[in-house]
Amino acid sequence: MALSTTVSQSKRIKRKAPRGFLKRIFKRQKPHLRLESSCDLLVHLNCLLFIRRLAEESRANACKNKCGIIKDQHVLAAAKVILKKSRG
Amino acid sequence: MEGSYIPDSEPTTRTLLRRLLDTEDPHTPRGRQSTRASARRTPLETPFSMRLRSQTKTTTRRHSHGARSIGRLAHIQTSGRLKEQTPRTLLENILLTAPESSMVVPESALKPVPAPQVVQSPSGESSRGSLELQLPELKPPTTLAPGLLLALGKRKQRLRLSEFQQGVDQELPLSPGPLTEPHGNAGASSLTSSLNLALATPPVPQSVQRPGLARRPPTRRAVDVGAFLQDLQDTSVALALPGDSLRTPVATLPTDTVLEDTQPFSQPLIGRSPNVRHSLPCPSSSAERTVGRRTQSSGPRLQNNSPGRPDQLLVGKAEEVDALAVGFPNTSNSSSGEDGLQPLQDGVGEEAEDVMEESLSMSDEEEAAGAQGSARAEEPKTHKEGTEAEGSWGATEAKELEGPSRDKDTAGRTGSPELTSITLEFQQARQLEFLEPAQPTSTAVLPPEPLSARRPPRARTAGPRLRQDPYKTGLSHYAKLFSFYTKMPMEKAALEMVEKCLDKYFQHLCDDLEVFAAHAGRKTVRPEDLELLLRRQGLVTDQVSLHVLVERHLPLQYRQLLIPCAFSGNTVFPAQ
Repeated sequence: MALSTTVSQSKRIKRKAPRGFLKRIFKRQKPHLRLESSCDLLVHLNCLLFIRRLAEESRANACKNKCGIIKDQHVLAAAKVILKKSRG
Repeated sequence: MEGSYIPDSEPTTRTLLRRLLDTEDPHTPRGRQSTRASARRTPLETPFSMRLRSQTKTTTRRHSHGARSIGRLAHIQTSGRLKEQTPRTLLENILLTAPESSMVVPESALKPVPAPQVVQSPSGESSRGSLELQLPELKPPTTLAPGLLLALGKRKQRLRLSEFQQGVDQELPLSPGPLTEPHGNAGASSLTSSLNLALATPPVPQSVQRPGLARRPPTRRAVDVGAFLQDLQDTSVALALPGDSLRTPVATLPTDTVLEDTQPFSQPLIGRSPNVRHSLPCPSSSAERTVGRRTQSSGPRLQNNSPGRPDQLLVGKAEEVDALAVGFPNTSNSSSGEDGLQPLQDGVGEEAEDVMEESLSMSDEEEAAGAQGSARAEEPKTHKEGTEAEGSWGATEAKELEGPSRDKDTAGRTGSPELTSITLEFQQARQLEFLEPAQPTSTAVLPPEPLSARRPPRARTAGPRLRQDPYKTGLSHYAKLFSFYTKMPMEKAALEMVEKCLDKYFQHLCDDLEVFAAHAGRKTVRPEDLELLLRRQGLVTDQVSLHVLVERHLPLQYRQLLIPCAFSGNTVFPAQ
């Protein structure tokens, strides 16, 4: 029933979280640490929120420069701000 | 006054002018800067004015004009120079060139002819202004005259026209005696000047003076082709070697591009292109890493190297990386570096691994070309897997992408000669790094040239590629989300920048989680740590809880796993 740790309903999830990818990254970075099973979902959530903030900031930068296209300098400037914010 | 006045039965322009000219003494050819010829004016004025009076209907007005003109002459003489080209000259020219028969109604001819003269004499304005006043009136008689004039002699006309224009521009206040024009002035000039009068002086001469402009054929073809070719070469060079274009002279670029195009799979090309392409980001990134590593090098790693040496090596490597950007030395360095890579690798293997690791992480999105690099990359990769340095990921932390690295680079320029060899090796290692990211097929934005160069390495190596591919794939997964969130078109370079930022972000993330777990005395990262991280980032506040975020952004299936929910049987899942 609901006690299963796997995803219950359909096997196809929209916007799947790359759990294996995240776990691999963490393992590469901190091999001496362990990551719990549900933590990678939260890490995925964190990534989504970071990307969202970065996208909004980049879009604001691009609009500020009256560009219709997001250029890498917009992204770079946005990243400087957002990375500082999300340093924790 | 003079008794030379001869009343004509037919007061045409021609007759009027004839009378004037007959009675008046011819003046010297128009002289631009002639001083006031007061003496000349007075005799001109008086007979002219008299003639006007006698012949025009509005004698009274003209009389007054004449008087005024005479009186004004005294003032004018002192003020401005005598304008040689005056309406008088115009009329003279008309006389000379116009046909015998009056082309227009005599009356109309009468009025315009004396009118300008009259107006000029009293007005004392600039000749042009007074002439302009007469424009509409003069048009009918003068329109035909210019046609004839043009037919007669264009060269002379233009010359004199220009001269007349100059004279007009100089604004001689026409006064009472404007008609003291030499007979020498060809009719063309007068006609043209009259034409100017009729058509508003400035535009007419312009049109006459500048027909050549319109008719001039564009002679830029040859230049354009040359410039176009040069631009082609420059752009091709720029595409291939962005770093080079910035720092190498233009003259050398075309040759480089030619070489590259013809030898896509040559080592120098392979060795050089990735270096060049990544020269800009890599120096900064690698330098940054080296700087960061310096802080951490003493700690967890490089047992076989002295603490001081890695710093120098790394700094020197950063220096070399800058040199890489130049382009030309890259080929030599790469070629020599490849040779020296093997022997050096054992000695500095660990450093190389770290360097490569960092450069790898930074240059995930970078494309690389080079067969040799991939083969050598395998060895360091294996080493790397085993000896993941702690500080490698966090080395770049707290460092801006550009700033501090540059300072450190300059500081570390005084590396020992051995650094050069090691730096060569690092360059090679970096090339290998570039090669790795180049191999993945999926997300990376690959220019055609490195893509073609990458195929051989792909066939050879299997291990490193697997490592890079999933990492790149995962990053690109988030990069796609980025483009989805922005809802705006994005450049490919911007996507790569996003991936770079993501990489940095992951480094920060892991470090923070480690710190939080260590703070709690654990070696396992738990959801509480994640919540603390989100809170510190400002995403989770007192108003917005973690569960709210989970509900908003994660799909239902994940929410079920994260948020405790009561189920039947008096159970809660997940267990709290």
